[in-house]
Amino acid sequence: MSKYLVVFAQAHQEFRIPELESVSQLYDFKVSLPDERDLYRPYMVIGLESEDHARLLAKRCILIKSIYEFYGQGKNYEELHLCNRAKRKLWERYIPETSFKFIVTAYNHTIPQSRQKKVVESFSYMDFMGKIDMKNPEITLGCFEEYETRSGKTRERHEGDGDFRQVYFGRLIEEGSARSLIQVFDVKKRSYYGNTSMEAEISLLMANQTLASPGKLIYDPFMGTGSMAYPVAYFGAQVMGSDIDGRQMRGKATPGVFRAASQYGVSSRMIDICTFDVTNNPWRCGELFDAIVTDPPYGVRAGAKRLGRKKELDADRLTLYHEHRINPRPDDQPYIPPTRPYELSNLAVDLVLLARYLLKPGGRLVFFLPTVTDQYEEVDIYTMLCDGMEVIANSLQDFGTWGRRLVTIRKVTSRKYLPPNFCAQEEVGEIHIPAHRDFREKYFQGFKKVETEP
Amino acid sequence: MVRLITHNLLACHAKGCTSNNFPLQFQNVQIELKEAEFNPTFLETFMPKLEWKALVDSAKEASATISRYILGNTSLPLEQPEMLDEEFLKNLHHVLLEIHVEEGIMICPNCKHNYPISNGIPNMLLAEHEIG
Repeated sequence: MSKYLVVFAQAHQEFRIPELESVSQLYDFKVSLPDERDLYRPYMVIGLESEDHARLLAKRCILIKSIYEFYGQGKNYEELHLCNRAKRKLWERYIPETSFKFIVTAYNHTIPQSRQKKVVESFSYMDFMGKIDMKNPEITLGCFEEYETRSGKTRERHEGDGDFRQVYFGRLIEEGSARSLIQVFDVKKRSYYGNTSMEAEISLLMANQTLASPGKLIYDPFMGTGSMAYPVAYFGAQVMGSDIDGRQMRGKATPGVFRAASQYGVSSRMIDICTFDVTNNPWRCGELFDAIVTDPPYGVRAGAKRLGRKKELDADRLTLYHEHRINPRPDDQPYIPPTRPYELSNLAVDLVLLARYLLKPGGRLVFFLPTVTDQYEEVDIYTMLCDGMEVIANSLQDFGTWGRRLVTIRKVTSRKYLPPNFCAQEEVGEIHIPAHRDFREKYFQGFKKVETEP
Repeated sequence: MVRLITHNLLACHAKGCTSNNFPLQFQNVQIELKEAEFNPTFLETFMPKLEWKALVDSAKEASATISRYILGNTSLPLEQPEMLDEEFLKNLHHVLLEIHVEEGIMICPNCKHNYPISNGIPNMLLAEHEIG
């Protein structure tokens, strides 16, 4: 394996490694990650079997800015040069006549021009004979200094220059091109969206967790305005969606989800959208989908609903109801069945059971779970698992007092299961109450601890 | 736009309706044809999931009862073939993915529940007394 330097974008740190691993699994190649890894650092040296694999990562990972062939690193330039000289075999073929460009840049810092020049000159022992070409060089060499975060403090311009934590050096293999998709899928530029539409970057990250690619069939059971469906379809998969509230998918005139899908040129992959309650679903059989991707409504702006009534009707009103059903009012309005709230922790348990039934073996369930930062424990995630389903990634998007976790669960069994009965809340003897139980109430109480009487 | 692939996956799920609840029967349908990209891999991997007889019947129904639409070739062999040649896959592609039912009703052959399709979106919601 050869070493490559990954330069990450400064966003969603906890999502970086799951994305790397998903994309490498999608294209079926190995990535070796460093034993000691700090998720919050922007540079990472990884092992890959070929340069092509590095290119695939740069083309598909939303969080990769660029990938370099790794030449060296160090606490200071002496260490870096020592390392780089030892790697001479990797770069000596560029000595005779390759045109090149040098970039010297830093994370959390701006290096003054004068020192940038000195840094470039310190590599003169490499003796490159080719011409320097700033516009179309045959190769680009990059040198990256990584500084500690010093946010929140005032400081002089260039203060602490050269006082970096680590410096890295390598040859550019590929600039990341998937990041530009964030602009393409920008919700503000979408022809149809709602007030809870998922932001573009996160929906793209979710799409990568599903391993979306041509030939796959992917389902969103809480489709809403379809934010997760577009990137998944863009990566080539066919999509099915459903929602208990057809108005979200429909909008006005031509169904909104289809309008937005045509904007992205993926309407032929948007197979169908159906109105139904996922707890009373019409799927004829299981093992249909390669992945299920969804952002379940968790109650802050839109609460989850399922069919049923909060309170059962009394005998008189029930009789009345049956009469109405036999002789509907002649106003030609479609019948809208009553709904009741769907508590989040029950929904999560049901969703995993449903996914086990509907996914093909090896398929993935990718969804967001909101959690209260102070109360979250890792065991919360495990309370919703069932046999045959394994968590393979769990990445936090932190909003302070609360956050949401992108959970990726893989179906590791090929056993056939019956459809779930969606009765999680009726099951007794629950041992652990997860922190996301009654998330909506906690959210609106500002996550204050409930005071107990003295 | 209920496509025949979706129709092939939906069964009546009203409370107690567990047999003879598939395939749902189309009524008063309006059809549109929309070209879709041909993906033989998808078709081949999806084929084992299809209820073949139901598909053949609904393809026939589509072409017979609504002859005013030019449907292209909707003839499928009565048995799922072992050998998948290009011509067969193209027909299957057309039947599964290019015929869109925009308006109409799907009726359960057993309990007669009506599932309306409006603007291409089927309403599969159940009434209060039909849920489990």
